[in-house]
Amino acid sequence: MGFTLYVQILKKGELMKKILLTLLLASPLAWAEQDHANMHDHSHEGHLHDTMVDGKNLDVSAERFDAFMNELTNVNVAVVSVKGMVCDFCARGIAKTFEKDETVQKIDVDLDNGKVLIAYSKSKDINYSEIEKKILSNGQSMSDLQILEI
Amino acid sequence: MGIYKIIILSFVLALNVDARPISYSGGSTVMLKSDNMSKSIYYHYSPTYKYSVGIENLEDKFFNKNKNYLRLTYLINRKNTDISQRNLYFQSGVLIDDTDGFFYGIHGDWETRRWFSGFGYKDTKNTFGQDYTDQYIQLGVAPYIGDYGDLHTWIMIKTKKNSLTNTQSTYPELKFFQGPTLVKFGYSDKTEWDLHFMYRF
Repeated sequence: MGFTLYVQILKKGELMKKILLTLLLASPLAWAEQDHANMHDHSHEGHLHDTMVDGKNLDVSAERFDAFMNELTNVNVAVVSVKGMVCDFCARGIAKTFEKDETVQKIDVDLDNGKVLIAYSKSKDINYSEIEKKILSNGQSMSDLQILEI
Repeated sequence: MGIYKIIILSFVLALNVDARPISYSGGSTVMLKSDNMSKSIYYHYSPTYKYSVGIENLEDKFFNKNKNYLRLTYLINRKNTDISQRNLYFQSGVLIDDTDGFFYGIHGDWETRRWFSGFGYKDTKNTFGQDYTDQYIQLGVAPYIGDYGDLHTWIMIKTKKNSLTNTQSTYPELKFFQGPTLVKFGYSDKTEWDLHFMYRF
């Protein structure tokens, strides 16, 4: 039944071509709307610019960080800067890898800023090379790691 | 929806493939494709992000025959930056039923969250008594930038050429992906539908 339906759809190529063209024409409108929405968010929400002991800035969306920390207690947060994390598939692999660690309480991926937020139990000794190795095993590279003791 | 339902549905829809040819370490991927030359289903496993091994069942529409490939894809080079990733892959396959038949080629891509470009070249040897090549170039733009877990959309244009049919076609494609699932479809008057489905787990 599914195959018959598929064949019928192919036979109706002209109709599908029109649908495809309509979608193509409609997409720039969605693009414009999304860009406007992003500008709106940035003007109101800003970023979390905490200065760390080492003098570096922590560039994470404040709204995102608050949402991430919601209901989390007794954790340390690793903020990992990742190079090459340009799509959802890349990020999904990273999340899957860290989820295997039982001391990881929560993970969030900020694709806009190339950051991965990982909340570890306090008992975990967060290790730079361990995180770097896990990021590399997914084909991306780590450029920085900052640890927030909550 | 369970993985078995996804696979069965994918078989029924008989769609098409390409996208990321290697998964993350320990990841598996099911890909299905259909275009003017073939219909295929391809499963691959990636022990590391550097390579994947897999098996492909392909229904060749030109020769009207079925063939099974054992496939290997290797990441030759990758460049990660804060905003982009560039990849160059070597791909190969050997016919399981007739080891005289094989293919090899390269494909590459460069991608940011907004822009995509890719190319591919494949040389197929001794398959049903003939040698032939496939080539393609692809450009794409994301109309909006989605967050992690959102539905991501790409508008693309692809041009491809096959030496058997000596046809070259250029046509628009739409690509959607969310979570582990990707669907892509394009249509050309010359080569009709180019369909592609991928599920990663």
